Amino acid sequence: MNKITININGEERTLEVKSNLRLLDLIREDLALTGTKEGCGVGECGACTVIMNGEAVNSCLVMATQADGATIETVENLEKSAPELQESFVEHGAIQCGFCTPGMLMSAKALLDKVPNPSDMQIKTALEGNMCRCTGYIPIMKSVKEASKKIKK
Amino acid sequence: MKKVVGTKVKRLDAYEKVTGKAIYGDDINLPKMLHAAVRHADIPAGKILKIDTTKAKNLKGVVSVLLHDDIPTVKKVGPIRRDHNVIVKDSVHFIGDVIAIVAAETLETARKAADLIEIEYEEEQGIFDPREALKPESKLIHPEYKSNLVVHYPLRKGNVEEAFEKAESSDDEIIFERDYKTPYQEHAAIEPEVVIAEPNHQVKGVDVYGSIQNPFTTRKVVSIFTDLKLNQVNIIGSTMGGSFGGKDDIINVMACRAVALSLATNRPVKLAYTREQAMKEGYKRHPYFLNYKLAVNKNGKIKAMKINIVADSGAYSSQSFFVTWRSVVQATGPYEIENVQTDIKAAYTNKPYTAAFRGFGSPQIIFAQESMMDELANELGLTPYEIRKINGFKQGSKTASGQALTEHKVSLMEVIDIALEKADYHNKLKEFEKYNKTSRRFKKGIGFSCSYRGSSLGAEGVDTTSAIVSVQADGSSYIMTGLNENGQGLRTTYAMVVAETLGCTMEDIQFLTSQTANIADGGPTVASRGTIAGGNAVKDACDKIKANIFSVIKETFNVTEMTELVWADNKITNPQTKQEINFADAVQMTLNEGINTSAYGWWKSPDVSWDKETGQGNAYFTYVYGCQVAETQVDTSTGKIDMLNMVAAHDLGRVINRTGAEGQVYGGVAQGIGYGLLENYSVQNGIVKSENFDEYLLPTIKDIPNIDAILVENPDKYGPYGAKSLGEPTLELGAAAINNSVKFALKKKYNANPLTLERVFLGKDLVKKVRQSEVVSKERCEVPNINSKSNSETVPEKTTDRVSDINITVAKTLKEALEIMSNKKHWIISGGTDVIVQLRKEKYHKELLDISQIKELKITNEIDGNIVIGSACTFSSLIDNELIQKHYPLFIDGISLIGSTQIRSRATIGGNLVNAAPCADSVPSLFVYDASVKIESTEGSKIVKLSDFILGSYKNILGENEILTQIIIPIPKDKKYYRYFFKLGRRNALNITRMSIATMMSFDDNNKIDEVYIMPGSVFAKFQRLTNLEEFLVGKEFTTDLIEKVIALLDEKLESEIGGRWSSPYKIPVFKNMLRDALLTILEEK
Repeated sequence: MNKITININGEERTLEVKSNLRLLDLIREDLALTGTKEGCGVGECGACTVIMNGEAVNSCLVMATQADGATIETVENLEKSAPELQESFVEHGAIQCGFCTPGMLMSAKALLDKVPNPSDMQIKTALEGNMCRCTGYIPIMKSVKEASKKIKK
Repeated sequence: MKKVVGTKVKRLDAYEKVTGKAIYGDDINLPKMLHAAVRHADIPAGKILKIDTTKAKNLKGVVSVLLHDDIPTVKKVGPIRRDHNVIVKDSVHFIGDVIAIVAAETLETARKAADLIEIEYEEEQGIFDPREALKPESKLIHPEYKSNLVVHYPLRKGNVEEAFEKAESSDDEIIFERDYKTPYQEHAAIEPEVVIAEPNHQVKGVDVYGSIQNPFTTRKVVSIFTDLKLNQVNIIGSTMGGSFGGKDDIINVMACRAVALSLATNRPVKLAYTREQAMKEGYKRHPYFLNYKLAVNKNGKIKAMKINIVADSGAYSSQSFFVTWRSVVQATGPYEIENVQTDIKAAYTNKPYTAAFRGFGSPQIIFAQESMMDELANELGLTPYEIRKINGFKQGSKTASGQALTEHKVSLMEVIDIALEKADYHNKLKEFEKYNKTSRRFKKGIGFSCSYRGSSLGAEGVDTTSAIVSVQADGSSYIMTGLNENGQGLRTTYAMVVAETLGCTMEDIQFLTSQTANIADGGPTVASRGTIAGGNAVKDACDKIKANIFSVIKETFNVTEMTELVWADNKITNPQTKQEINFADAVQMTLNEGINTSAYGWWKSPDVSWDKETGQGNAYFTYVYGCQVAETQVDTSTGKIDMLNMVAAHDLGRVINRTGAEGQVYGGVAQGIGYGLLENYSVQNGIVKSENFDEYLLPTIKDIPNIDAILVENPDKYGPYGAKSLGEPTLELGAAAINNSVKFALKKKYNANPLTLERVFLGKDLVKKVRQSEVVSKERCEVPNINSKSNSETVPEKTTDRVSDINITVAKTLKEALEIMSNKKHWIISGGTDVIVQLRKEKYHKELLDISQIKELKITNEIDGNIVIGSACTFSSLIDNELIQKHYPLFIDGISLIGSTQIRSRATIGGNLVNAAPCADSVPSLFVYDASVKIESTEGSKIVKLSDFILGSYKNILGENEILTQIIIPIPKDKKYYRYFFKLGRRNALNITRMSIATMMSFDDNNKIDEVYIMPGSVFAKFQRLTNLEEFLVGKEFTTDLIEKVIALLDEKLESEIGGRWSSPYKIPVFKNMLRDALLTILEEK
């Protein structure tokens, strides 16, 4: 067991975690934030993407112990931090089954936090680690692009 | 008046999906719930001699371990033939068979218990080719069925033999024959399979939750398996994380297992699969072997078509009966041919079984028949367009099964013309032809494919469905349906049908997730029938409600006919008198009269027919038509294909939700691109090699081009508001269109998909070795396991990949880290992107030391003419670092292409170097820049050249107590360097590098080559610069002749060093091309 302190969605939490606990398990099980999904467990699908210290990361490839001191944002925080992005996803049909959506949103959010007015290639690079099997990515591209315009205003 | 149908509407379930509030199967946790694990077979075929569960049962926290004989009720299930053992008894039919199931207090305990089950086998030679399986001397995979043949569908129209005889003796006709092969395809819904079963004491039965595509099918299977009555099994589907046909049979057997454990323990039980388990056990799209033989008039008219297809059913019959039936109906494609003889057979093999997947027997035949049509056109000197125009279905044409297409608009040529015009096809043919004549390396192609497709189930089976619409006193309403929301947007479509029919607003409609207990069996959500079947049932319910309301309000309006009133915008209006009543008031008036405003809707398909002996009949009551045009660019140096554009025109009858319909097109096209280019589920001798998404490649956002979705509307008399089908046709066309496009670009034909690098470059696939992580894991395991807590003989193999038995120590300073290392060997973890993947396969206990939080290892500085990078710097931080950008652009080129943004956020340069994978992308440019590394221990430190640090694949000189702390790179001279970096991978992101090349050159005042660096990645067993080539080049004038000379030198080196390898027939010529491209690019730039 290791003791860690993290800031999760703006809230400071101190927790005892088992060594084999991944950040993903910590979020889904210990913190009951089930919006973050597991699709592959090997960092290939991006469904588990969260923002850790400002960067999009696969939470399946971070051990919970390693997150000590980190600031983590998950999809559950987006109504506060990026409602335009959520609305844009809804508006432009970026969601079908929705399983990739939380990860997709977090990758997009991490991008827009750093690059408010991204190029198409920057959007693609930000989302290259997020697999979507339903939408063919086209509406997702559009959603992120349109959201970036709204957020600027 | 506001119309709803045909507009763009937001999904009903969008809010919960963008906020993380939607509850998917794995998000469900019930009080006192146990976790289940399965024990899969370890061999693809053989007898089970002995199963010992003692150790598993003795593990603390294990509540139940069940074997075949522990299940008191029926054991075998299957949609037609019950050949599928939920838990196998004494023989293994494929590697995904389940031998035992476990329930425990925690997931880790359940999985560990599964590992501890000891099984003795007598392995047998499996059969892995369905053509082999059909030979009379072949061993029977299911002896009880007396044959490996699962099903054979014949179709006979006209007289094929006579037509071939005539063609043979005629100067006007030719015989044309082709063979094709299509692969397995995995659904790869991003949500892996999960079910939860819970005892329901009220009905003395069970409730089942989870990722369930067809709740009524699951209910039936569970009922058969348990001997419970249908009314004792309630299936409550969770939000579905994608299905595409994939969460049917596999979920049904998983449900049986969870139910068995739940009944045995009297507790809720969750059975969740990892991706690896889903990939191993889950069924796939059928691989097909297809032979087409044609008699064709030289003017292009096809006189006869003889088709022989063998489908690989895998270990079980499953849906083969239905999938291959659709193939036999549609095998000729949308072409009117007088004489047709089709035979399709599905056979058992000892491989993962095959069943429903979006497309359902059509992508295979379309790949063959549409590739063939282009080849035929070429043979006859016709264009692909002309051959289709001559033979394509027209209004009233007769299909291969003798069905006259008279009941709907036959829009084949319409969709073709629309698609080709949008793609500017005819002009692009000329433009690309011209481009290809002058372009050395890249060739462009354009090609198309077309199809017709029967809507709904057709003569496959009873085709009905159910819906309940319940309008409340305030005008709001509920919908429940017998079909299931699988992510495709069916709830929204149904709500739109309600809004359109009753004239109420979308905001007033709620869709309730149906349970099998509260609505009549609506059949399966398959066959692109969600809209046409379910939409009709919903409309039927609305029409009944509308009639009831009308019976009350007609007096108020003083009208006699429903058509005299307009129902829209929450009002009912008489346009003649302008009199209007609010919808809610009309509902209240109706209820006040004691008349019901809720109704059951039901839909039964129009009549269809089929004669099993002749394959003749009216197979489907209506058809849809589609055409897709693919534009590609092929890198002839490597065989890599890039998509430039896709146009998809689909006649769907009528658009209900435009956003949803376009989404279906985009998604289907993307899956078609995957099928055409990337997706190759590999099974070698019955062993699944594509275990996860690192080996089974899905298209990323960088692999999908612009897609033009064109929705063509010819309303159908049988569809709700004229709507037909769209989901499946969008997937079935892409692979063939891409193949035709590539054929145009390269003037070569390919008879199998996907178009892998090797297939395009060599015309064939090479047999792959084991996946990278297996190699890693194996090599790691060969290192003596000094960390192992227990004797290695007693540690069982891991049967579920997971991070399990580890201990992590965190070091906050380098000093602390070095001290820890001096006391005991640890695996060092920093970014974790390699280590955690390896830990999932690691069966021994591991001590880990986390160095990711050591600040001094995360700093980059300029010191004495060098840039010194801390080993725990992430690639993202280096890409953003101005010093690195300024001095090492070649390094930036390389590391920018590592993995994905998420991987680069965590992966560190130190980790990449220590892991020393041959495909490590930071290495080639660091060799060019002549980097060194600093190694430290409590005993001291040393600096060594990177080239001396890496010994070979996954090997370095690091001692047990040492840590790589810094990377030291000399700052290059201040002069003009030309550089070129190229990374070859199968797709455009998340690639494991096949090969790479990093090149840097400078020239002196006399324009002679001054400095040159040539560094291959993933080519040789050990990283090495090609110094002999470099030496040859230095001091010479840089010309194309010189480049060819140096390529000849390279050829010798490659042949002598990697000549005998399995991959060399591809790697040698391609790496020569890569060097040529590198040098020519620099020459051009200069």
